[in-house]
Amino acid sequence: MEEELIGIKNAALSFILEAEDLKSLEETKLQFLGRSGKLTLAIKAVTKLPIDKRPAFGILVNEVKQTIEEALEEKAKSLSAVRKTNLLEKIDVTNPGIKPPLGHLHLVTQAIEEITEIFEKIGFIKVKYPEVEWDWYAFEALNFPPNHPARDDWETFFIDEKPHPKYGPMVLTPHTSSGQIREMTANKPPIKMLNIAKCYRRQSDVSHVPMFHQFEGLAVDTNLSIANLKGVLDYFVKSYFGKERVSRIRPYHFEFTEPSFEVDVSCGVCKGKGCKLCKEGWLEMGGAGMVHPNVLKNCGIDSNKYSGFAFGWGVERVLMMKDGIKLDDVRTIYSDRMEFLEQF
Amino acid sequence: MNIKIVDSWLREYLDTRQNPLEIAKELSLSSVSVERVEKVDNDSVYDIEVTTNRPDLMSILGIAREASAVLKNAKFNDLKTIEPTKSSAKFPIEIKNDPRLVNRICAVVLEVKIGDSPKEIKDRLENSGIRSLNNLIDVTNYVMREIGHPTHVFDFDLLKTQKMIVRESKRGEVVTTLDGKRHILSGGDIVADDTTGKIIDILGVMGTTNSVIYENTKRILFFIDNNNPVYIRNTSMNLGIRSEAAILNEKGVDPELCLKALLRGIELYEKIANAKVISEIFDHYPNKPRTTTIQVDSEKINRVIGVEVNPQNSVEILNKLGFKTKRLGEKIEVEIPTIRADVGLDEDVIEEIARVYGYHNLPSIIPTFLPNKVIGFANNFYFEKRIKSAFKYFGFSEVYTYSLISEDLFDGPIENAVKLKNPLSKDLAYLRNSLIPSLLNVISNNKTYDGLKVFEIANIYLKKTNDLPKETPMLSGVLKKKHASFYEVKGVIEKALNDLGIKNLIFKKSQKSSIGASIYIDKDYLGEIEVLDTDIVDFELNFEIILQHATNSKIFKPFAKFPPILEDISLICDAQTQEIINTIKNQDEKIVDVTLKDTYKDSRTFHIVYQDFEKNLTKEEVAKIREQIVIVLKKTFNTTIKE
Repeated sequence: MEEELIGIKNAALSFILEAEDLKSLEETKLQFLGRSGKLTLAIKAVTKLPIDKRPAFGILVNEVKQTIEEALEEKAKSLSAVRKTNLLEKIDVTNPGIKPPLGHLHLVTQAIEEITEIFEKIGFIKVKYPEVEWDWYAFEALNFPPNHPARDDWETFFIDEKPHPKYGPMVLTPHTSSGQIREMTANKPPIKMLNIAKCYRRQSDVSHVPMFHQFEGLAVDTNLSIANLKGVLDYFVKSYFGKERVSRIRPYHFEFTEPSFEVDVSCGVCKGKGCKLCKEGWLEMGGAGMVHPNVLKNCGIDSNKYSGFAFGWGVERVLMMKDGIKLDDVRTIYSDRMEFLEQF
Repeated sequence: MNIKIVDSWLREYLDTRQNPLEIAKELSLSSVSVERVEKVDNDSVYDIEVTTNRPDLMSILGIAREASAVLKNAKFNDLKTIEPTKSSAKFPIEIKNDPRLVNRICAVVLEVKIGDSPKEIKDRLENSGIRSLNNLIDVTNYVMREIGHPTHVFDFDLLKTQKMIVRESKRGEVVTTLDGKRHILSGGDIVADDTTGKIIDILGVMGTTNSVIYENTKRILFFIDNNNPVYIRNTSMNLGIRSEAAILNEKGVDPELCLKALLRGIELYEKIANAKVISEIFDHYPNKPRTTTIQVDSEKINRVIGVEVNPQNSVEILNKLGFKTKRLGEKIEVEIPTIRADVGLDEDVIEEIARVYGYHNLPSIIPTFLPNKVIGFANNFYFEKRIKSAFKYFGFSEVYTYSLISEDLFDGPIENAVKLKNPLSKDLAYLRNSLIPSLLNVISNNKTYDGLKVFEIANIYLKKTNDLPKETPMLSGVLKKKHASFYEVKGVIEKALNDLGIKNLIFKKSQKSSIGASIYIDKDYLGEIEVLDTDIVDFELNFEIILQHATNSKIFKPFAKFPPILEDISLICDAQTQEIINTIKNQDEKIVDVTLKDTYKDSRTFHIVYQDFEKNLTKEEVAKIREQIVIVLKKTFNTTIKE
């Protein structure tokens, strides 16, 4: 009996030694230690032994079983290590990865998203109004005098349609300011509006495209002052261009605001010292002002009780003013070459 | 409009110790934008942008007055005109004016000696960006730059009839301007007619060759006309003549300046052209502007500016700017000089105070109030952003193409198009009714790319009678690659819309294009997928309909307690896949899902999921349902079932 046990042990150990993978090791385990494995059967034969020999046999059985189990475990460890090594040896970490598809959002969309989030954080609500408008919304209610150059054929696109008896000719919105009138005629103050839309002007050169985008902010409440407008401008400039940039307002003229301002941002290239790209350290961003009392009146808002401020800037303009973008021709933004689109 | 102001000239009327850079800075912050300060010889030149409402600042005197208000310890010394040696001779020209066209005419006849101007005048003009020609022309430009009113000079001896009628031009009349260019007038220009029908000047815009001075000029008619700005703008734009005189005149110049300009001109002619006054001064002034007064409340000044401004401070600012004031308790009464036609409301007066007080001296305060409306989080902009980003991650690149298109790119009869009255070019003459032609342009402009996926969300414009066009946002895209697949585009649309919470998409064989699908959300028509050729598949979806159905509401379905039973069934028939799926699904409510698993030749395999949420399904129950499916399929589609 003892010899048989030693034989089983040796056979098991040699099988284990020869096993080339985890699967054959598992088979060996079953062959010897399984329900009808060789060692299991040998152990069952203990009943045939005289009682006095049984304790010694028992010790031996345990020894054999332990040896086989340890050998199995040892071998399993070394086999899986080998497997890992084999797998790793096949990876060239410098080979290209398998990439999921990734397209591109247009620069203008990305800018609009940034601008929107910045203003939403201080309570401005985004709106959408018509791109094709009546003169009344685009000019008249905005206090443009009848002979203002913007209302002639040279600057604004007119639609070949009959004028409205009350609202006048049909035009392509030359600015987002028509949204001020839409907003104020449809809502009661307090108002905090952000209107971002396509605009159209009859011009095309390095700094103009016939179709472009503007974003327009409008706030109307009791007791709004120039200081409040400055607060919003500073907040936007720091949020959009960076904390180190500052803004300033200068006197300017627009029909629909009084006072009117031109808003400048400190130049990001020369840090305000003055360079080729800027005017004495400043870049012009666009217009702003306190809503003209005539505009409030035209929208049915009591200009003695309420005041407001508004600003409207080119999306493309602020995009081109960002540090490091190096876009110097606005027409490039509307290039449909993939070579351009895939860069962003 | 930009103007160049010479520093030494400015200082003739401005007392200040500040240097040009300091002056430039203060002007920019509180008055006009000084874009550059250039050093020239011993002088400096300011390049200044003047806003269109302030033609009074298009002059040395105007800027000097502004500078005296914005600079500390500065003083404005106004020009004092000298009375010329009077002539008793009658003004020899008979002028007939139309007061609708011209507000004022001041004129005088002088005997002169033509020649070069002295160096100082030449230098000042050249540094101001004005070419020096001869003393007779130079004086007109010198006066215009100094005072801000355009002036003109005729050769007196060329005015043969000694008569002048101011009238509107007729369409088709021909003139040759002093720069030698021939113009055919379109009518409605202010012209001077010598009563023979000959035009001898386009007033306020440019002189004509038949009446201007030349090298042998002996006598001149020095002529200052103040015109209706609307006419000037039209003429200047129509003829493409953007002379400084035209640019000034179209903004409206104060007619009160006319006589001052005339007297200053006579003084200069006497000084540099040996001039002798040989007629009395003609001054025809039918449209005299009135001065107005405005009352401004101190409390309102503080409210608009956002800080408290001492009323005495306000008064001093206004006085320096040329306004007369009177204190009436908490109010200030302000008299507006005619030169400041841009000031008409108390807000305008507040602006004057605020800018000189200094915008840079005001605090920045973000207003914390909230608007009067609440919009939900999952609004249209949210879904637009979300679907754009889905397309990006599906490998599509977003493009922005022009809403304005050529006739060729319009889909359907061109009479239906929203048409521009004054297009910039033929390529940008109509508003589009589909984004697809523009997107196909993008494809053809990128020929070197084998695989392209592009998309755009933008409005289309549909004509309406007596109303603004209907603007509808569309979501459109094109897939181009070798053997572009309809199914790839369909899959993208399905997944992108699923992400917006839209489930009930129905695809039908297209009625519009020869190969493609019409897509519906329930009963709402959404748009089309069109297989254009083997390599190009495009789609156009009504984004407004998508927004109507988009939702981010969520419903939790409890986990199934009992496992489903899965089965495949293969069959051969002609019916559309969707029809077969619907038929199978309708047989029993325990069929929770049916999908097309595989197609091989004309055989299709459907994967069926049976599930009972109440108990374990038995094989027998499933067999019974399956039997029912087979019977119905055979009956409905006359199909062969492969067991």
